[in-house]
Amino acid sequence: MALLTVENLSVGYHTRKGFLKSVQGVSFALAEGESLGLVGESGCGKTTIGMSLMGLLPENAAVTDGRILFEDKDLLKLSKKEIRQVRWKKIAMIFQAAMNALNPVHRVSEQIAEAILAHDTEISEETAMKQVESLFQVVGIPPDRMRDYPHQYSGGMKQRAIIAMALSCNPSLIIADEPTTALDVIVQDQILNAIKDFQKRLNVSLIFISHDIAVVADVCDSIGIMFAGQLVEYGNVKDVFDVPMHPYTRSLLASYLTLDKDIVQLDSKPGETPDLVNPTPGCRFSERCALADAACSLNTPEWIEISPTHKALCNQFK
Amino acid sequence: MKDPNTVIVQLESISKTFRTRTSFLKGAPKEVVALNRVSFEIFKGEIFGLVGESGSGKTTTGRLIVKLETPDSGKLLVDGNDITQIKGRNLKNFRKKVQMIFQDPYQSLNPYLSVYDSVSEPLIVHNVGDSATRKDRVRQSLKDVGLSPPDDFFYRYPHQMSGGQRQRVAIARAMVLKPEFVVADEPTSMLDASIAIHIFNILSELRKKLNVTFLFITHSLAAARYLCDRIGVIYKGEMVETGAAEDIIQNPQHPYTQALIQAHPRFRHGPILKKHIPRDQRF
Amino acid sequence: MTVNQSTQTSKISVRPAKRFPTIERLKEGWSVYKENLIGKIGLTLLVIFALMAVCSFFPPLIDPMYHPMTGVDPLIAHSTGPSWRHWLGTDFIGRDILCQLLAGTRIAFMVGISAAFMSIFLGTVIGMIAGYAGKIADTLLMRLADMIMVMPTLLVVLILSSLFGQLNIWTIVLLIALFRWPGVSRVIRAQTLSLKERPFIEAAKVTGASHFRIIFRHIMPNVLPLSLLYMTFRVTSAIIIEAALAFLGFGDPSTVSWGMMLQWVWKTGHMFQAPYWLLPPGICISLLTLSFYMMGRAMEEVLDPRLRKEVAQE
Repeated sequence: MALLTVENLSVGYHTRKGFLKSVQGVSFALAEGESLGLVGESGCGKTTIGMSLMGLLPENAAVTDGRILFEDKDLLKLSKKEIRQVRWKKIAMIFQAAMNALNPVHRVSEQIAEAILAHDTEISEETAMKQVESLFQVVGIPPDRMRDYPHQYSGGMKQRAIIAMALSCNPSLIIADEPTTALDVIVQDQILNAIKDFQKRLNVSLIFISHDIAVVADVCDSIGIMFAGQLVEYGNVKDVFDVPMHPYTRSLLASYLTLDKDIVQLDSKPGETPDLVNPTPGCRFSERCALADAACSLNTPEWIEISPTHKALCNQFK
Repeated sequence: MKDPNTVIVQLESISKTFRTRTSFLKGAPKEVVALNRVSFEIFKGEIFGLVGESGSGKTTTGRLIVKLETPDSGKLLVDGNDITQIKGRNLKNFRKKVQMIFQDPYQSLNPYLSVYDSVSEPLIVHNVGDSATRKDRVRQSLKDVGLSPPDDFFYRYPHQMSGGQRQRVAIARAMVLKPEFVVADEPTSMLDASIAIHIFNILSELRKKLNVTFLFITHSLAAARYLCDRIGVIYKGEMVETGAAEDIIQNPQHPYTQALIQAHPRFRHGPILKKHIPRDQRF
Repeated sequence: MTVNQSTQTSKISVRPAKRFPTIERLKEGWSVYKENLIGKIGLTLLVIFALMAVCSFFPPLIDPMYHPMTGVDPLIAHSTGPSWRHWLGTDFIGRDILCQLLAGTRIAFMVGISAAFMSIFLGTVIGMIAGYAGKIADTLLMRLADMIMVMPTLLVVLILSSLFGQLNIWTIVLLIALFRWPGVSRVIRAQTLSLKERPFIEAAKVTGASHFRIIFRHIMPNVLPLSLLYMTFRVTSAIIIEAALAFLGFGDPSTVSWGMMLQWVWKTGHMFQAPYWLLPPGICISLLTLSFYMMGRAMEEVLDPRLRKEVAQE
């Protein structure tokens, strides 16, 4: 039984230029303890999905379709009060550059204890502090730093504290939105190891949102590639990387530079993000795609199953 | 072309400390040592990668070379001339030869100037040519960075362009005076990976076409390895290792370099790529 | 490393760039502006007053008795109420009040806008120089601004005019400008300070631009919207100061302004007997200043995208 099932989610924003269809028809499922990476370039809608799951969409956003089933309840249908109970207790979020989320005038351990107490009125302050202690152990902050203030922490430690805060209420799902983007490489490596570690130990499900495909490959079991608001490829990390099907996935992998891989020149044309106010009914990637033919920009692309654990949204492989 | 015998930029024991102003009540002002007796050389025609994390001093190095800052001690030589303390007319002439590409394409172009205005600005400031010649040079510069047809872009404004396009304009602006040396300060860190490749390629082509030397500042060893001939690794204001790019990656000597290489996220947990560089391209 | 894709052209399917994108900007600004109710009311009022100012030229052409200063109705030599001959009535010597009101509109616009313009000009230049130069120049200029700011404008102008006799309208305008620039300069200085650190200014420095060029070519366009915004607020204070001066008897006696009209009402003892004479100028002063103020508030929303209601996200 999947912990989280997103069905045909569509979200848009009301802007001066019209209704921006930021996420269109996205579906995926997440089992308990599983980790899913959502990868895409800026503007692809991945952050919007994270916000939808947390119920943190801004005023001008509107969910136009779909359901988010979490523990058999549709999150989109919950009232504000009910969402607040789910948020943080069941689903926690680690934001981008979250280290700025720590209040500079309170001690770090106190802030985390406060979060615990806010969601669980039964336990005492002492118990809460004990929990903070064990959390610090999980994320790797030395216990003698507990009584420090945020400004005394380095960037990496602050991020660990944020992770500790996210874990504090024993959520079953954590959504991490670019948690290591603002960190240096060496620190990033440590944080990613800490994330992998606690995820396995506590059996927490994880949705890892990033533009960095190498980082996602390192941390996640499954991966979903997003382009222009749509999920274009989805499956096991191993399957998707071994046999990338969607032309966008291929160009993404090709343009990645790591120490074990060079850039591969592909035929994709440098393009701009497609118009999301009036998106083409056909494939949104067709303008930039080397494999596209005339039909691609007119016909809606369909899902092709390459294996039970790997599918791509493309008409070229029918 | 590449000339390992001619040093174009040389830093000799450069030190720079930043002092933060504090209020009356907080006691001694805080000092941050950005660079501590850093020395290295850049050869004519090469792309030199300066790799470091935030706070390492890499950006300060770039800013010192383009004279946005002055070192507290040490000597800075460009083309053999000591430019550490130059001012006035000499400084202005110096600026014709040394330029900079900034990190944030969303902030490095004046929002009120059109593409033509921004790219022709260096020409106007240094009184190069007349209106017609300037148009031609701007056209050529825009073509060099792949913004074609150039005339279509003349009257566009930054907010009408994507990040990648803006960065190309910034590069066009830096190159329009045909400088000898350009500092590229993390030019792709704010762009998506697919756009970044194009920028790398542009820099590489420009090096070939205009015989310009680049200092490529980055936090990514992988990017430095891809683009650069030689790499310098900088940590907490000190240069820990310099050498040919492949050598540094394959045989890192300094523990910091080794740690940096270990920590870089790898695609498939694969071994480090061994690049074969043909004889004639080796530096 | 293959490099065949480097100069691939960026194909963008966007309409060709307009030669004057300022018009595009204005259009966009307008679409934000017109959603603001306050702005619309302010603009409507302003248009009405502008029409009034334009119409002020016509009555004397119809009949010399409608001239605001010298037009005396041969049949009436005292203050009368509204009638068909004089829609708002006449003042104490038989001059048409409506004509005076229309002429006063012209003066209000002239004074308001000229004084505002001059004070903005001074304030912007001084603010930019102080912000950019920093250190001693900044300190000196800002202390000067402080000193002027704390002086009560009205009082000082009153003292000056009592020393030098009746002041000409343009002298009044100049004095208002000289006393009102400090407020603007503070704001412009703050804006300049933040702009100074922005990469595009550093890029201009690296290019080799002189300080003068950086201030006037690079910084100025970025602060100008703020200056123009403050101009609307300056207009309000200029109009009120001029009206106050005229009312207190220190205005230019050869110009008919609303304040002057109020002075005549008061001086000739008609304050409580002639509401048709007392109310129109007072209401006009309030409404015109209000309209500029409202427009200023609406423009704030145009200029500062953060104040707008919508935010587009990734």
